[in-house]
Amino acid sequence: MSTVTIRPLLPSYRRANLNFRDRTNILLKPNYINYSIKSAPNARRFCSFKKLQKITVSSSTSTSTSPATSTDTTPVRPGDVFFKETFPLKRTHAVEGKMFVRLQKGKDEKNWQLSVGCNIPGKWILHWGVSFVGDNGSEWDQPPKKMRPPGSVSIKDYAIETPLKKLAEGDVFDQVNIDFDTRSDIAAINFVLKDEETGAWYQHRGRDFKVPLVDYLQHDGNVIGTKSTFGLWPGALGQLSKMILKADTSQSGIQDSSSESCELKQENKHLEGFYEELPIVKEIIIENTVSVSVRKCPETAKTLLNLETDLTGDVVVHWGVCRDDSKNWEIPAEPYPPETIVFKNKALRTLLQPKEGGKGCSRLFTVDEEFAGFLFVLKLNENTWLKCMENDFYIPLTSSSCLPAESVQEMLIPGKAEEATQEVSQTAYTAGIIKEIRNLVSDFSSDISRKTKSKEAQKSILLEIEKLAAEAYSIFRTTAPTFFEEAAVELEESKPPAKISPGTGTGFEILCQGFNWESHKSGRWYMELKEKATELSSLGFSVIWLPPPTESVSPEGYMPRDLYNLSSRYGNIDELKDVVNKFHDVGMKILGDVVLNHRCAHYQNQNGVWNIFGGRLNWDDRAVVADDPHFQGRGNKSSGDNFHAAPNIDHSQDFVRKDIKEWLCWLRNEIGYDGWRLDFVRGFWGGYVKDYLEATEPYFAVGEYWDSLSYTYGEMDHNQDAHRQRIIDWINAASGTAGAFDVTTKGILHSALDRCEYWRLSDEKGKPPGVVGWWPSRAVTFIENHDTGSTQGHWRFPGGREMQGYAYILTHPGTPSVFYDHIFSHYRQEIEALLSVRKRNKIHCRSRVEIVKAERDVYAAIIDEKVAMKLGPGHYEPPSGSQNWSFVTEGRDYKVWEAA
Amino acid sequence: MEVSLMGNSQANVVKTGLPYRDSRVCCSYKNKIDDKVLFVNRVSFLGQNRSANLRKAQLRFCTKASVQSQPLPSDRDSGPLSSARPKSLDAVRLFVGLPLDTVSDANTVNHAKAIAAGLKALKLLGVEGVELPVWWGVAEKEAMGKYNWSGYLAVAEMVEKIGLKLHVSLCFHALKQPKIPLPDWVSQIGESQSSIFYTDQSGQQFKGCLSLAVDDLPVLHGKTPIQVYQEFCESFKSSFKPFMGTTITGISMGLGPDGELRYPSHHRLAKSSKIPGVGEFQCCDRNMLNLLQQHAEANGNPLWGLRGPHDAPSYDESPNSNSFFKDNGGSWESPYGDFFLSWYSSQLISHGNCLLSLASSTFGETGVSIYGKIPLIHSWYKTRSHPSELTAGFYNTAKRDGYAAVAEMFAKNSCKMILPGMDLSDEHQPRESFSSPESLLAQIRTACNKHGVEVSGQNSSVTGAPGGFEQMKKNLFGENVVDLFTYQRMGAYFFSPEHFPSFTKFVRNLNQLELHGDDLPVEEEVTESVHTNANMNIQVQAA
Repeated sequence: MSTVTIRPLLPSYRRANLNFRDRTNILLKPNYINYSIKSAPNARRFCSFKKLQKITVSSSTSTSTSPATSTDTTPVRPGDVFFKETFPLKRTHAVEGKMFVRLQKGKDEKNWQLSVGCNIPGKWILHWGVSFVGDNGSEWDQPPKKMRPPGSVSIKDYAIETPLKKLAEGDVFDQVNIDFDTRSDIAAINFVLKDEETGAWYQHRGRDFKVPLVDYLQHDGNVIGTKSTFGLWPGALGQLSKMILKADTSQSGIQDSSSESCELKQENKHLEGFYEELPIVKEIIIENTVSVSVRKCPETAKTLLNLETDLTGDVVVHWGVCRDDSKNWEIPAEPYPPETIVFKNKALRTLLQPKEGGKGCSRLFTVDEEFAGFLFVLKLNENTWLKCMENDFYIPLTSSSCLPAESVQEMLIPGKAEEATQEVSQTAYTAGIIKEIRNLVSDFSSDISRKTKSKEAQKSILLEIEKLAAEAYSIFRTTAPTFFEEAAVELEESKPPAKISPGTGTGFEILCQGFNWESHKSGRWYMELKEKATELSSLGFSVIWLPPPTESVSPEGYMPRDLYNLSSRYGNIDELKDVVNKFHDVGMKILGDVVLNHRCAHYQNQNGVWNIFGGRLNWDDRAVVADDPHFQGRGNKSSGDNFHAAPNIDHSQDFVRKDIKEWLCWLRNEIGYDGWRLDFVRGFWGGYVKDYLEATEPYFAVGEYWDSLSYTYGEMDHNQDAHRQRIIDWINAASGTAGAFDVTTKGILHSALDRCEYWRLSDEKGKPPGVVGWWPSRAVTFIENHDTGSTQGHWRFPGGREMQGYAYILTHPGTPSVFYDHIFSHYRQEIEALLSVRKRNKIHCRSRVEIVKAERDVYAAIIDEKVAMKLGPGHYEPPSGSQNWSFVTEGRDYKVWEAA
Repeated sequence: MEVSLMGNSQANVVKTGLPYRDSRVCCSYKNKIDDKVLFVNRVSFLGQNRSANLRKAQLRFCTKASVQSQPLPSDRDSGPLSSARPKSLDAVRLFVGLPLDTVSDANTVNHAKAIAAGLKALKLLGVEGVELPVWWGVAEKEAMGKYNWSGYLAVAEMVEKIGLKLHVSLCFHALKQPKIPLPDWVSQIGESQSSIFYTDQSGQQFKGCLSLAVDDLPVLHGKTPIQVYQEFCESFKSSFKPFMGTTITGISMGLGPDGELRYPSHHRLAKSSKIPGVGEFQCCDRNMLNLLQQHAEANGNPLWGLRGPHDAPSYDESPNSNSFFKDNGGSWESPYGDFFLSWYSSQLISHGNCLLSLASSTFGETGVSIYGKIPLIHSWYKTRSHPSELTAGFYNTAKRDGYAAVAEMFAKNSCKMILPGMDLSDEHQPRESFSSPESLLAQIRTACNKHGVEVSGQNSSVTGAPGGFEQMKKNLFGENVVDLFTYQRMGAYFFSPEHFPSFTKFVRNLNQLELHGDDLPVEEEVTESVHTNANMNIQVQAA
């Protein structure tokens, strides 16, 4: 059976769409070996790109985008020709063949040989690597030097490539033999077969081929030697629905026996040989052209159309004419060219004449002047039709309509599918989708299978819409300031304070940041912290924030790599569970510090850029945002700021979000985390955070949205509304599902305390000037953390003023967070006293604060009419009116009273 | 074999202006076979299933039919299916307003990047087009007859590139927020010649637009405002020629304050009060009084022409605070009241007539529909005197239909009517305001139906009326056909997380109605037609 797809590229008169050509080049990128099935659904989401096209393009970009004008041998006088065009004709032809995998004994018991061969002509490459005993994980390693056959080339540090060749003249198979020593500690040989001409990868059931050499390797589906269906993926990005599947029952007998025999008994290393043949289908591109030239014949008032092609054999032109742009087929009046038959009263079929002496064939057609266009398709045999981008060829017959604009337009539409897949630029990507939507929005099919398909595409469109809206929103709101104050206040009032929501917890939470920048050094932080659990709980803390738990490139944990590997410098997964249990026992909730913005890669791509991930979430570079040139991601543009030290994750990708949600849920269930401290949330849109929080339903969540305050001539501006607005915007984008660290308040406290400018602590409306003034329930106030203070000291709180800071945040609304270093320092007693004031007076995140003084040297406020406090050296005493105030605690430049 | 094909018949008919509004458009399969064949060819690459093709063919066919404006032969065998079909988004063309200050007074595009992203988002959502306010004070800012369209042209190009349609609103008024003034040279004239502006009974002026009384007076450097408006329109037409009828599908003619056909009777509403007052008559500028005087003398009551009603309340007062609007025995029911109100409202209608006929004749040939906007003055609607409507210039009371004459004027000029307030529902109005947006809307729509004026909807509330989306849906899918709906308006709030998701939902809801359509079974016959073209339908199949 020969099924052929014809997909001529765009006719060359489509000059307008230069983008398309640029983009086709991108398709030339080699594919990655660790492309996983996991991401395949995502691939489909991008509107059906087809591997056929991929191969097509990658092998012939240059020929298809420039018109082949050299074929012009027609006897037309150039002056009369008003239309002349050469269309590329391209079809893929499936060639079926076999490949074999053979394991056999070599010279002696110690030396064995693995052979891989293929009988389809072409340049075949074995791309392979080994796994060593003790490796767990799917990564490859380079084989030892002596294993490598001559002609092998190293690919990065994990694979080599060896070309297949015929061992002797007349061999049917190209093959490669790999000799190895059974005494080595190689556990398995992994490989894929690569077709160098098309760049296609051939894998085994969607995975790498794996020949186990020891018997404890798990059979995870891709092991050779089991009864199997054999799937080949030409093109690692191939669309799954298009994959060529061949049931391979005929050889099941052999495989059954070999499945047992091919495994090495670990002790005596008795490998048993096997020989397996697997069918393989290669898509071959056949390129031809068809040239059409049109001229008027002044004598007869007819249009002469010459059609010629380099196709050989019996080529039939199935044609008709039309009167206008609507391209309704009509049959012209006779006479017809010789060898023409009328087909079902709809079209004419004319056999082309072989050209004299040359390859190809041609025919001259005469058409009355009244017709505006000539429509045709070429037919090679009953199953093989050649069309122009899935459309009929349309040749305008009037000189005025020489550029058949409409036909170009229409041809764009089928082209969109492949365009949409490989977009680099956001704009172009959207443009592609926009074309797609014409089909989707206007005509949803009632058919179920279509429906599923459109649902997928619909989803991706909705996501795209969301992103665009977010982009538009972020620009609009900076140009036109919006104030959420009232909305926020309204929200506050409408919400019963006792309700638990991830943005606020119960509203009475007090956080403890349970680590500093040095905590990783001991290697047993979890165990050390566990000892303090009871103490922290009795101090009054309700939530503990633990350090990032994942395996990380940097010891502190903020450069995570394998998300599911929870062995960190703070301890291993069991110790983590242990400390979590301990805190649960003392009645505290646990926040996991999760780094979602970026992730360090395991492998480099072909350019040496680290953007290929390993471990359980073995994403490829589509998970990386496209707009950081350091990491050459193929995802979409980042929805936030970029963190430049590691690949930034593209949260717009469905598969990424799905994986992250799964991971977070796993952390919740497996470890027992109650909520999240989200690292660097400036890096991606808050809407995604909302998505994650809704999926994981945390008890409490807080995001780190840290950017600079505004300064004028080195002096901090009094009005930091823009700064807090940005934080509020983020909280809004996350729909209030998470709070945010109140960086604004910290910054203002810096200036106020350090420079004795206490007037800064009231905004123009007499409210607290930080986030806590606008959206108190979502503000997580703090004065120091592992970045700002500790041994990093990126933005250290003014020395000696810490207790004033705590006197502020622990008496004010918002959810305060106390830094570990301060708790276990000489400040401890003062902090303890403030904590007990807060708890005793039930101050919560929505408490009402009335600022009674904000002057140069003194700030004073009354909270919930229950607590009065002052900061600064200036004088303040709470009013001795209806209420009686009793002094509770004081320290350097602060004092606190309670209502009696 | 005969099969009927039907699309969103009503909408198409309306769109193309065919005479039989409520009939169904049907035609025999044979008649249209070519359309279908063509289309089947085109989509054959998708052809995993035939019904998909059919679906396309149907829709395609509809579009074509409407574009060609062919009256299609009705086939008696093929009627009944279409009647049950729900209207879809295809039936309501959805537009979204661009920011009021899209083009700055320096003729640059404000927040161009945001608009670009926004346009894409809207296109993806399936929105038909956008509405662009074109300001007199921007395009003819410097001097009379000196136009600068560059900013607006840039926007039109952006819109065209994205593949959206453009509805242009020509705005001859000024705006406070964002601040868009009248042209500088007009303001200058106004300083020396304040009678070109509306004046209320206490002598206060409204400088947001020119008084209708000067329409035909040569107050603008020897030209009448009507002439200046006309030249503005002409210049617009020639500058936007490439877009006319293709990208630009509609033009709204600015008719007064906020572009609406009305007097600025409510421009001094006190902010504090939640209940809008009745507003004030705006007839006390010299030119208005002249007109009133002439009219009074012609009526044989010269004394009635000396001033406006003396017993009307002021802006934020309630109807009963003075005697003119009193429900029982108010002066509005007296002969004087009728005299004054007839004159006051007829002035407004003839002003509207003047501008709309100007627009019709200027843009008539361009294939663009012309629109005018009517306000929805719904407060005090439940009183007998409808005071707010009266001060705004609509002589609509419990005894008299004031909108019939307006609709008639629109019909005369073949203009479509833009009605705001489609998001307002009675239940959310304060009881004390005796307001009923729903009844008023229904009244105006009835008047329009009667006179064959097509209605196009808008929402009123910028920050989202409570239950607004539901109300809009109700208005779009009710008995009456809406030509298009313009949602106001793009900006930070529009794309904010509080708002955009509900807007998306609204749009998708409109879409979904189509998805659940009862058009599943029609497929059989057309499968046949696909077969006849099977030779075109080459499937891409892997071995």
